[in-house]
Amino acid sequence: MADRRARFEQLVLPHLDAAYNLARWLTRNDHDAEDVVQDAMLRAYRFCDALRGEARPWLLAIVRNTCFTWLRANRPADLAGAAEDLAEAASPAEGPEALAARELDRRLLNEAIAALPAQFREVLVLRELEDLAYKDIARVVDAPIGTVMSRLSRARRLLADSMRVITRASRPRIHE
Amino acid sequence: MKPEDAARLLQAYADGELDPAASLEMEAALAASPALRAALERTRAMSAAIREKADYHAAPAGLAARIGRSLPDRPARRTSRWIFAAAAAGIAALALVPFLIRPVAQDRLAEELIASHGRATVGQRMMDVASSDLHTVKPWLSARLPYSPPVVDLAAKGFPLAGGRVDYIDGKPVAVLVYMRRKHTIEAFVWPEDSGRAVWQTRTGLNIQSFAAEGMRYWLVSDLAAEELREFAALLRASTS
Repeated sequence: MADRRARFEQLVLPHLDAAYNLARWLTRNDHDAEDVVQDAMLRAYRFCDALRGEARPWLLAIVRNTCFTWLRANRPADLAGAAEDLAEAASPAEGPEALAARELDRRLLNEAIAALPAQFREVLVLRELEDLAYKDIARVVDAPIGTVMSRLSRARRLLADSMRVITRASRPRIHE
Repeated sequence: MKPEDAARLLQAYADGELDPAASLEMEAALAASPALRAALERTRAMSAAIREKADYHAAPAGLAARIGRSLPDRPARRTSRWIFAAAAAGIAALALVPFLIRPVAQDRLAEELIASHGRATVGQRMMDVASSDLHTVKPWLSARLPYSPPVVDLAAKGFPLAGGRVDYIDGKPVAVLVYMRRKHTIEAFVWPEDSGRAVWQTRTGLNIQSFAAEGMRYWLVSDLAAEELREFAALLRASTS
């Protein structure tokens, strides 16, 4: 048992920030994220002997499942999002006013990510904030790599679209 | 590569996830299509914006400790009773344990430090507080740790302070100070500990040095040449005592 604790502290606990970041982005709330992470870490501790390979995707898969179980029970509306197999827009309408990503407002960008459907939000967070490889993301979200790829590209497109709308809407209107 | 394939695989290319053959095909497709190049630029810009501007929610201070307390088997609880009964028989053997396990424990610690250094470098999250001002870095660290780590600026000696972060090493939160030397970074992990020997190791291209001074244990991890890291260690040691 002392062994397990040592193993947990050396291999799993160092990824607490990653665990919290994912839970926070999925629950969109500090209090719930903390509850979910505590629960997930307890599970990780129990299954720690079964850990093979890299600890971070392994732990994040547990956190992710705990989040979804929690959301299903407490906030099912959060999981109702874009249908998986919606045909992807063939070519995004990128006018000459293409997004100047460097100038994006920090707060608006965070809100736009938070507003993405959960299955797109999670792949985006795992890729851009946790810097996971596709194969590790596939492991965390329990989906084939091809699915990860299409969800990620759809996530980025949705985000670009919503930023474009927000940016346009928040532009001062001179002629009114 | 067909245009529809190129469009589909563009993001994987931007993410560095295509195999070399497909990457070559993609590069040919990019050379031929300005629209595809523009799409790649947009993808990269969006990715950079998210990495730079999206909130990274690090675990709140104290969460690790709360999790530690919630684990079902705290070793102390079970050992306290029988340890006295076993003491007479076991004490001689137990006394040997620290000497036997120290190298292993130290090895493991070095592994953890390297892993922390690697995560910070790869994830580009080396510093949670980026400042060369020790009056900014020190209070930031003190507010997040159960101790106040000594912070000195060695800019005048060619090792400017760049910032710090809190990391989780050996089951506890510790201060990490980040110093620069030209393009190299030196990470100094600091926590309270009186004793222990000086240690010097080289692993996977990194140099690691450890010493104790003024009640603190220092572990330095850097890709800096061994000599320069020794020089840094000597300066740090001299300025903290």
